[in-house]
Amino acid sequence: MLLFRSEEHVDRSGKPKGAFMTPAQMWRLADTWYHDRDDSAWRRRSADEAEDVFEQIGLKGDFWRLT
Amino acid sequence: MLVRVRIAVLERTIASGQVPTAGEIAAELDLPLAMVQEAYARLGESHVFVCEPGDPSRLRMANPFSAVPTPFKVSARGGSYYGNCVWDALGIVSLLAGEGSVATSCPDCSEPLSLRVSDGRLVASEGVVHFGVPARQWWDDIVFT
Repeated sequence: MLLFRSEEHVDRSGKPKGAFMTPAQMWRLADTWYHDRDDSAWRRRSADEAEDVFEQIGLKGDFWRLT
Repeated sequence: MLVRVRIAVLERTIASGQVPTAGEIAAELDLPLAMVQEAYARLGESHVFVCEPGDPSRLRMANPFSAVPTPFKVSARGGSYYGNCVWDALGIVSLLAGEGSVATSCPDCSEPLSLRVSDGRLVASEGVVHFGVPARQWWDDIVFT
């Protein structure tokens, strides 16, 4: 997961094109994913739970499927 | 025991900026080294952390922290850290009370790019995040991902 200047810079880099998200979506995902990582009650999400998180921030489609 | 080790690793990384070795955690928790090495292995197998290949005392990633320098430098709560990717770099900021910044650069043109979070909100950003690998394949080669 890399931060590029723009989608055009991904094209120019020659890297295989995958999926994009805005920094705001990335922050929401990171905050949801990691805010409680140092809590003793934390447990790893199941694939279904992770897909729910992706969907909540607008990440839909086969690229974001884990199951 | 896995919970104690996981939390001790994260707390020590937050305090020092360095991902601790199994020896350091064994000393801190007063546990046998082999027991902490076993915990590292189990945390790696369950994709909580990522072990350093060939060294049972080291982690490559204590997610969201990287044990080695990366292009994702985080400044938060007075400390400096490395994230494994932009997701994890922002995850470090989240873990550190939602106050901090991420400095990286465009992989194409090398222009510096930064993100800043304050009071739990993304207040300054630029660029676009690119995921090159579909979610289902992330753990096939997590270092590449």
